[in-house]
Amino acid sequence: MTNDSRVNDYLAQLRGALTGMTLAEREDIVEEIRMHIRERIGDSPASLDEILAGLGPAEELAGQYRTGLLVQKARHSISPLLILRAALRWALTGVEGFVVFWIAVVGYLMGGGFLLLALLKPIFPQRTGLWIGPGDFEFTIRMGALPVSTPALHEVLGWWFMPVCAVLGSLALIATTKLLQFLMKRFRWRTPLAQVMLAHASLW
Amino acid sequence: MAKPLAIAVEADSSDKWEAQMRKGCLEMAVLATLWHGKLYGLEILRALERDSQLILAEGTIYPILNRLRAEGLLQSQWVEAEAGHPRKYYELTGAGRERAIRMAEMWTEFSAGLGSLIEPVLKWARKTSRDNGRSRKELLL
Repeated sequence: MTNDSRVNDYLAQLRGALTGMTLAEREDIVEEIRMHIRERIGDSPASLDEILAGLGPAEELAGQYRTGLLVQKARHSISPLLILRAALRWALTGVEGFVVFWIAVVGYLMGGGFLLLALLKPIFPQRTGLWIGPGDFEFTIRMGALPVSTPALHEVLGWWFMPVCAVLGSLALIATTKLLQFLMKRFRWRTPLAQVMLAHASLW
Repeated sequence: MAKPLAIAVEADSSDKWEAQMRKGCLEMAVLATLWHGKLYGLEILRALERDSQLILAEGTIYPILNRLRAEGLLQSQWVEAEAGHPRKYYELTGAGRERAIRMAEMWTEFSAGLGSLIEPVLKWARKTSRDNGRSRKELLL
């Protein structure tokens, strides 16, 4: 395989892995990497193997671009789906990302759960609601789409359950989104550790 | 057998700490590199290596530049170069200059604060390095 075809193969892999961006953004990135390879070939005695090794596998390189742009978009987006995707990608890079991802999962599940209950109330009015009554710990609160088997429990809120759940669900989604946007701005995206090579490996 | 292992683990932790420290200041270093004017990717890599001893995997710099551009801290432009092929040059935007200044100030403040704290450590290290009798590790153990 000639050098040109190896470079083209690498760039084709990179292009294929650069998802979630416009065609212009993708081609701009591919062109920049092509020029980098050309510059390095003409400029130093390094072999093509060394140059491609320096760039890293095309999939990993594309992953760094995708992650950076995804987190950047998520900082300004209100789409839970986009924010969740960014948090998931961030979770793979370290503890900070992992914590942020779990905040996203818990917050959105809570918000989604409340909204689901608001929708279920008119469909299953007898089984969806908030009940209060005596329980194992003298007092019990049951909330959700549950069979009501204990007659001692009595429902509170009634049809107000729907707007209350709708408001709580919306607040949970908004608060989670705002918190995640804040965290993504506060803890800036960082380069994966493995890709920072040290000039002087040891302090000793 | 335990001591060499302990020293190896200690050295490994130091390497990680140094890598983390370098990683943390990478963005500031990239912005500072562009302070005097526009540069293209490979020039930025070489400037980082020459001026700050930050040696990055070559594939690392481009996603960082792309992200800084998306954040509005850099702007880029393709320029037809004498080399016979175009180069993508990056330069700081106003927001990028502001960020670079803020980071440089914070860095200086932070390192000055730590300077007085670590001064006794450095004094001890300098003193023991002049001591030809025993090695520093012997003195520490």
